[in-house]
Amino acid sequence: MSETVVTMLTNAFSVLVFPGLLFVMIVGLLLAGIDRKVLARMQKRKGPPVLQPFYDFFKLMGKETIIPDAANRRVFLAAPIIGFVSLVVMVVLIPIGGYTPFGITFNADLIVMLYLLTIPAVALIIGGSSSGSPYAGIGISREMVTMMAYELPLVIVLLTVALKVGGGSFCFSLGEISAWQETNGALITHWELIPAAIAFLFVIPAEVGTQPFDVAEAETEICEGPLVEYTGAPLAMFKLNTAIKMFVMTALFTVLFFGNAVATEYLALNALIVVAISAGITVLSMTLAHAVCARLKIEHLFKFYWTVVTALAAISLVLVWCL
Amino acid sequence: MFKKIIAKSMSKSPWIYHVNTGSCNGCDIELVAVITPRYDAERFGFKLAGTPRHADIVVVSGPITSQSKDRLARTLEQVPEPKVVVSIGSCPQSGNVFKGSYSVEGPLEKYTHVDVAIAGCTPKPEAIIEGLYKAAQILQEKREAMEK
Amino acid sequence: MMEMFNNYEVVKHFPVIAVMGLFLFAFLIEIFGAKCKIIRNTLTLIATGGAFALILGLIPMVFGEGNVISYWMGDWKPVAGYAIGIGYEVDALSLFFGLLVSGTFFLSSIYSIKYMSRDHHLGHYYTLFLMLSGSVLGLVLTGDIFNMFVMIEIMTFASVALTAFRNKKGIALEAGFKYLILGSIGSSLVLAGIAVLYMQCHTLNMAQISSIIGGAGLNPSLVFAFALMFAGFGVKSYIVPFHTPAADAYMAAPSSISMVFSGMVNKAGVYALIRLTYTIFNAMDIPAVNILLVTLGAITMFIGVTMALAQHDFKRLLAFHSISQIGYVITAIGLGTALGLSSGLFHAMNHTMFKGLLFLCAGAVFYATGTTDLDKLGGLSKRMPKTTICFLIGAFSISGLPPFNGFASKWMIYQSVYAKGVESGNFAYIFATIVALVVSVMTLASFIKVTQAVFFGQLPDKLKDTKEVPFAMRLPMWIMSGLCILSGVFYRFVDVNVLYPVRNAAFGVKNYISSMLGGEAAAAASNVSSEEFFTLWDPKLWLILFAIVLLAVCIVVLLGDKTLGAVRKNKASEESDGKYATFFGGEKSTHSHVAGSDLFWGFKKDFKGYFKFMQGMHSGSVNDYALYVVVGTALIVATMFIFVL
Repeated sequence: MSETVVTMLTNAFSVLVFPGLLFVMIVGLLLAGIDRKVLARMQKRKGPPVLQPFYDFFKLMGKETIIPDAANRRVFLAAPIIGFVSLVVMVVLIPIGGYTPFGITFNADLIVMLYLLTIPAVALIIGGSSSGSPYAGIGISREMVTMMAYELPLVIVLLTVALKVGGGSFCFSLGEISAWQETNGALITHWELIPAAIAFLFVIPAEVGTQPFDVAEAETEICEGPLVEYTGAPLAMFKLNTAIKMFVMTALFTVLFFGNAVATEYLALNALIVVAISAGITVLSMTLAHAVCARLKIEHLFKFYWTVVTALAAISLVLVWCL
Repeated sequence: MFKKIIAKSMSKSPWIYHVNTGSCNGCDIELVAVITPRYDAERFGFKLAGTPRHADIVVVSGPITSQSKDRLARTLEQVPEPKVVVSIGSCPQSGNVFKGSYSVEGPLEKYTHVDVAIAGCTPKPEAIIEGLYKAAQILQEKREAMEK
Repeated sequence: MMEMFNNYEVVKHFPVIAVMGLFLFAFLIEIFGAKCKIIRNTLTLIATGGAFALILGLIPMVFGEGNVISYWMGDWKPVAGYAIGIGYEVDALSLFFGLLVSGTFFLSSIYSIKYMSRDHHLGHYYTLFLMLSGSVLGLVLTGDIFNMFVMIEIMTFASVALTAFRNKKGIALEAGFKYLILGSIGSSLVLAGIAVLYMQCHTLNMAQISSIIGGAGLNPSLVFAFALMFAGFGVKSYIVPFHTPAADAYMAAPSSISMVFSGMVNKAGVYALIRLTYTIFNAMDIPAVNILLVTLGAITMFIGVTMALAQHDFKRLLAFHSISQIGYVITAIGLGTALGLSSGLFHAMNHTMFKGLLFLCAGAVFYATGTTDLDKLGGLSKRMPKTTICFLIGAFSISGLPPFNGFASKWMIYQSVYAKGVESGNFAYIFATIVALVVSVMTLASFIKVTQAVFFGQLPDKLKDTKEVPFAMRLPMWIMSGLCILSGVFYRFVDVNVLYPVRNAAFGVKNYISSMLGGEAAAAASNVSSEEFFTLWDPKLWLILFAIVLLAVCIVVLLGDKTLGAVRKNKASEESDGKYATFFGGEKSTHSHVAGSDLFWGFKKDFKGYFKFMQGMHSGSVNDYALYVVVGTALIVATMFIFVL
């Protein structure tokens, strides 16, 4: 009896505190802050404080929530929460430094991850669509095209990793991929996977929706796209979702390409290492691109992903298959 | 607990929506200059928002022409509470050189309560930053007043 | 009462009674129900409900005890080892499809009562409806290949008549005509195949043919028959390049019929393909057949979904998605592995549910507004909230969002295709996996388009008075939505209790033969590999975690309600409308709805050449379409001769 209580409490702890709700909120917003700070330094500005996203979040929480007449009230309010919750649950499944609170096989599967990643995006799309604004209409169309654009290279990268790790057998589990790297070295050190890693680095900003791949939320042209009618707490939720997505994507990169190779015996240290690597990847993939490039047009974005990025991923796939 | 953080955050993260009501574009350029690396208003958390729904501070430039009057009113309505209205340049205050024109229906006070007015034709970026900073403080006060 | 279902002598009559009953009632309706609404509806419900009940009654016998029910019509038992009578043979595979058929028709008949009430000549409608249901049910339950052909013919002609039922619209007649021509070509191919088969085997009983072929092996004539029947059933299941009539037919037919077409009529083709490849020819060990099916499946799903992206009619879009989803099923069953077959069957079952649901939603929209044109609709979610919820459930299921059923089956399909690729070392399977994954996103994209164009966005002035559809129409929709969620969350239950017996039946050819012909004939047998899932997707645990976090969020929101910004429930009286109007950059809000037809131009622009080519190919000319069928058949025959022999 007491054992079940303990298990339930540990489960609740892992969902609500680490690596769940609280941890991911803090780390996500922190990463967003680092992104903005480093971007500012790259542009020779002083930049906002690292805690700026926290301020933004709390400020939005305190603003009035307006539900426009044209909107479908329930969907409009439910969409950000569903996106947020599904992201938090997703983080629990990522083995951070080999830490899997729900067993190594539970749901931490490449395909499941891929599909869980679409839920927040769909939440954003449905929420924007339900607001009834034509700007949102254009925004969701772009969001969807972006999604189609990065999905192809992402799929190829994931299958490449699975092929490399599995060898002649089937291996989709993130836990196994992570563990494999403990004995065989981090995947990033295998030269044939470097193009795939670069492709993944390109996928991250599109998935998160940062410049130059933020066509869906282009604030200067289509007034923040799907978010145009959102105010107050729901908007805060969506901003938080974007921040969490940063962590999810970079943590996924860490698991796929570093895995347990960087893990130590101590859980807290592992978490720190993962956060540090995540921050590094954030800077590398998102901030750098943001500082260097202007926003792309949607058809250019699509073409870029289906040619350049897909080619990078496909090179790795073919190399892994042939070698 | 949240009350204090939220109130404090109000002054730390004011998002700006800019409405041009027939301005000569001088003030608009200066407002953009404020977010360039040289002046970098982002260090105070300022950010240009894409829609009035996200805004905390509405910056109005220009002498309110008859064409822009209704549009200004609609935009101001759509900003969620608490909100602060800042006028930038002399035009919204007095009409400036456009005063007396058949198509100018200023000043801005006729249509809304102006919290901060930044004078000058055009105001220097430093002045704009100071004005916006004050506006951010007013935002926090308004939020605290809403609590009570 | 329960004794009855375990008594073989009683139960063995059920399949025949179900099929015969449907045909009988079809004529009764024509005699008694042509004028009187109540008699007509009662007879229809009795017939479809009765058939469904009888098929349900077979479950304990077939799924529970693993029996195969064999029934010789008129007690014409085999003479001197040769089957001369018509035999009905119901194994788990037949029963699985039989359940889907009778269930779909039952729900469709409930829906029809209200939905069709504004049409005329309903006596003919219900007669044809029951003819169709009887023929599809007969097709999946029969053990005789010529009987199967007869059922296909009845099915085709009932379908043609139902497609053209609303014949005041030119499009319905055109669709009926296309269906007639291409359906006849398909049936002829099947007939030609059966003729060759009969020449070789001197019997029409599937079990016996299977045993003869298993004993003697393939010769060129048999391969030719196989190719012809493969192509013929391909036409019936609308795999590319035989898919062309489907789009028109599904669009022009009434929604209650589109649901049946998409849910069952093309599934009957899939069933026939499974019987052909798994049971009759036992051909799933031949790599060329696997590759052929997987290739056709991958092409079908890609072309189906890209064509769907270009559509601007609700039902036509759904029709192309039907084609695309059948591509998944064909790919999965083409693998010839245990997991592959399970996943294919599971996806077929799920497709029946969610596509049926979506067609019913399309029908509800048509009933309420009188159009299915995506450019004329919009903002219906405020007027038809319940239909919107049903539609979203269906859309999320078909796009494979967890935890709905589409995800469970697609996830199994990806696993099985990828595993086959890794095992066999053939890159084609890996490529098929990539195609399947990308097609899934495109499916999502086109349903986002429908969501935006029909249910969200702005409400046109013309549709201001739209009302929610009556309960009798919503009931089947709710049932289907419930099934979509349940089979998604409890997919392990479905897998163990339904799919295991079905897949064992499909692989257990020996058992199939011996239960039909007695112990004498049994040559071919397949090994049933008992491969399990490679990794685990546990929707229940995921939902629990989801609920915990949701609860936490709700608690925070409730505690912080005072401190958080106020959510305005109603307009305060002193405030003007402007505050709650849609933001138009300061302009007065007007009607400006972003409709569906142009939603993905960024994507379409990059694929300009492809879309132009595809639209040119789908010219609408029956001559072209017939040509595709001929060319496709020729290619299949050629492939078979080159690689199988």
